[in-house]
Amino acid sequence: MSFAAVVLELAAMVAAMLATATLVVVGPRRLAAALTDARARLRPSLLPASVLALVLLFRWGTTDIVVRLERGVIGISITPLLEYVENVLLPINPVLALQSLQTPELTAYFVFIYIYGYAFLLLFPFVAYFALESADELRNLILAFALNYGIGLVCYMLFIAVGPRNLVGEFEGLLYIAFPESGLLTHEVNQNTNVFPSLHTSLAMTVFFFAWYTREEYPAWLGIAGVIAVSVAISTMYLGIHWFSDVVAGTLLALFSVYVARQYTVEELYWNARGYLATRIDRLERPGGS
Amino acid sequence: MDEDAPSVTRRGALAGLGGVTATALAGCSERIWSRAENPAPEQVELTIKTVPADDDVVAAKVMSQLRDNLREAGINVTHEPIPEMNLYRDVLLERDFDLFVVRHPGFDEMDALRGLLHSDFVNERGWQNPLQFSDVTVDERLEEQRTADEDDRTAVLADLFEYVDETTPYTVIGFPDRTGGVREEISVSAPPTRPVEYYRLLSREPDDGPREDPLVVGVFGEGLGDRLNPIVADRTRIDGLLGLLYDPLARPVGDDGELVPWLAEEIDWDDSDDLEATITLREGLRWHDGERLEADDVEFTKECIEDTSMGSVEGGVPAHRYRSRQTVAQSVERDDAHTVTFSFGDANRAVAERSLTIPILPKHVWEPRSEVVAEHRPEAIATDNEEPVGSGVFELTEITSDEIVLEPFDDHVFRDSSNDRPDVLSEFSQYSGLRFQMYPNPGSMVESLVDGEIDITTGMIPSTDLEALSDASDSRLRSEPSTSFYMIGYNIHHQDLGNPRFRRVISRLVDREYVVSEFLDGRGEPATRYSSLAGFRDDEWGFDQPSELSAFPGTDGEIEPGRVRQLFEEAGYRYEDDELLR
Repeated sequence: MSFAAVVLELAAMVAAMLATATLVVVGPRRLAAALTDARARLRPSLLPASVLALVLLFRWGTTDIVVRLERGVIGISITPLLEYVENVLLPINPVLALQSLQTPELTAYFVFIYIYGYAFLLLFPFVAYFALESADELRNLILAFALNYGIGLVCYMLFIAVGPRNLVGEFEGLLYIAFPESGLLTHEVNQNTNVFPSLHTSLAMTVFFFAWYTREEYPAWLGIAGVIAVSVAISTMYLGIHWFSDVVAGTLLALFSVYVARQYTVEELYWNARGYLATRIDRLERPGGS
Repeated sequence: MDEDAPSVTRRGALAGLGGVTATALAGCSERIWSRAENPAPEQVELTIKTVPADDDVVAAKVMSQLRDNLREAGINVTHEPIPEMNLYRDVLLERDFDLFVVRHPGFDEMDALRGLLHSDFVNERGWQNPLQFSDVTVDERLEEQRTADEDDRTAVLADLFEYVDETTPYTVIGFPDRTGGVREEISVSAPPTRPVEYYRLLSREPDDGPREDPLVVGVFGEGLGDRLNPIVADRTRIDGLLGLLYDPLARPVGDDGELVPWLAEEIDWDDSDDLEATITLREGLRWHDGERLEADDVEFTKECIEDTSMGSVEGGVPAHRYRSRQTVAQSVERDDAHTVTFSFGDANRAVAERSLTIPILPKHVWEPRSEVVAEHRPEAIATDNEEPVGSGVFELTEITSDEIVLEPFDDHVFRDSSNDRPDVLSEFSQYSGLRFQMYPNPGSMVESLVDGEIDITTGMIPSTDLEALSDASDSRLRSEPSTSFYMIGYNIHHQDLGNPRFRRVISRLVDREYVVSEFLDGRGEPATRYSSLAGFRDDEWGFDQPSELSAFPGTDGEIEPGRVRQLFEEAGYRYEDDELLR
């Protein structure tokens, strides 16, 4: 299967899932109402969306430099540390424990979750929150995604680590054994040293935390998002992609991003940062200041 | 409180306390002093570096067996999988390692050991003595074999192998066969790794008729097209690619690696006094950018490998590669535009021939690169050489994130079949070009082969991925011995690894037979004799007995702790609480 075929299959599958979920969770009437009022609902999200676009664009445009910087200059190799935490500090190694449960059905389920479930989980809230009366959730969600991604990228630059599958003998790289073509996809968006934290987990958990806040509007979504998000977190370990520490760090990153995104808007963040810098600079300029 | 009682002042209290402490210290002072002055014996600590399983699953498995066995033997082991390019930088450039496990591409000739082990190269970069090994006996033998005549040389080398076995600056685990998948219509015995294997492959018409398309070769890994500099060590490589782009004066293409003139029309050897070779270049040689390839370029290449800064850095900055081949020739003199003379002093012919296999670099491109861009770092070392200007029958026309395209270089003298071409090129080429298709992992590469998107795979493919080939209808598994080997390298400057007896015990802790039968599925050969433990697969050295190093103290890859413990104790180490102490 070529890269194009893999992408096409992914797109078709996720589109079908989105359509079904939209019908069941959102309902055609609510969606139709939202569409008539699309402009007003989207406008507040414009700013966070451009921040997200900027982060993505930065990542896409600077991959070469970032990888070189990570590998050659600032990256700290933390694989031995992660292995020590999991193998020595924890009573049982979580990845090992999960992989010991291995069955073909379970592998198939987690591969499905890791690729299709994850893509669906990230995309559906855009539809669902667009259909809400208030434009706040959509705006907050986009900002939270941008924060997750931005902070995650900084961590990737700082830490060089490889996933458990790279320590063969103990762990297996189930994803690429069960579904090698998925490498074409994951390779397109990632290097194999981008492990700490798990952005799969953090973005999935972000969606889940948002689902909690919108449980009144979409009670069914809370359940679906919960199951998928937790499955995504487990799948990253089961498939040998991430360490338990990566998943914990990913969840913490999600908590932080959701908190900040719901507490502040992009403008507030900007003015806060500006205000902080201004007082700093002011202090520096004052005679005798340090 | 009684008013008459003397009040306790702070000063008094402190003085009292001080007195008590001093008295207490006096009593047991010897114990405290001893402890402070003489640190207790510590557990032996080692860090193993290797590539992640994504890059080379066999290296990762060897490392994990070694790690488990070292732990079992009471050593505190940390292991660090780091991406291939970083590993090369750490090991080959910065020498920042204790132990490393890596696949070595294989030696071109016995004299290559000189580059790996001679003290002359102890401060150089790349595969030039990365172990920082320095031993007068080894140096002597390496120099003797360089000048000895054929019969004596065999004896000297046999001596050297035996001595290297005793000192074990590195150890070889085994020789993996080059193994991979091939489309059914292409008849080839194994995936290509060297240029000559590519020439043979491209010269044979596919069974289903001539091709208008290029041959498509699958490669996998990270950053494969990022750094195409032929003289540096810190890059991931596609085996054979740069060799196809840069022609040498002569290639070892014969059946026994016998040298065939390539850019050279003729090689005149003269050993009446010191050994000399006068080389006449072929008529009409051109670089890929259209410039003429002349004797100046040959002379320049030797100078550039010796000092990439061309004199602008005091003491010079030698290239990471080809140094041991270059140092064979004492001088390279241009006689006229088409003739150069190599002088080899008292070196023998077999060693001298190595210097003719260095890829020739275009002076007009590389001379400006002698400019120093950072401390001790000329542009020639820093550059990624994104648009390689070579002289090979192929030129590189396109690199994208997933492919590297080579197209025929029409101005090459070998493109004209009326010219006197080497035999290996007599049917060249049955394809319109050569394309390397890059994949993130071996699994997706094998799938692509089965789907008919590529013609042949390369690289070390895990056996789980090779299984897909066994039930494929029109692809075949092919395998053939190769010269490359898995090795463990030791940092001689490490406090324990500096001890040859310690290294000898460590070298025994990988079950070589098990590695070949389990990790390589039997497609390979374990290193068992003096010569193969030094990296030479063919055993024609008269070593009938296997070396002690290949005797694994355990079974099925797992050591028997008691036996290993005894080995370490015999080497002068001791144990406490199952920890190996120094």
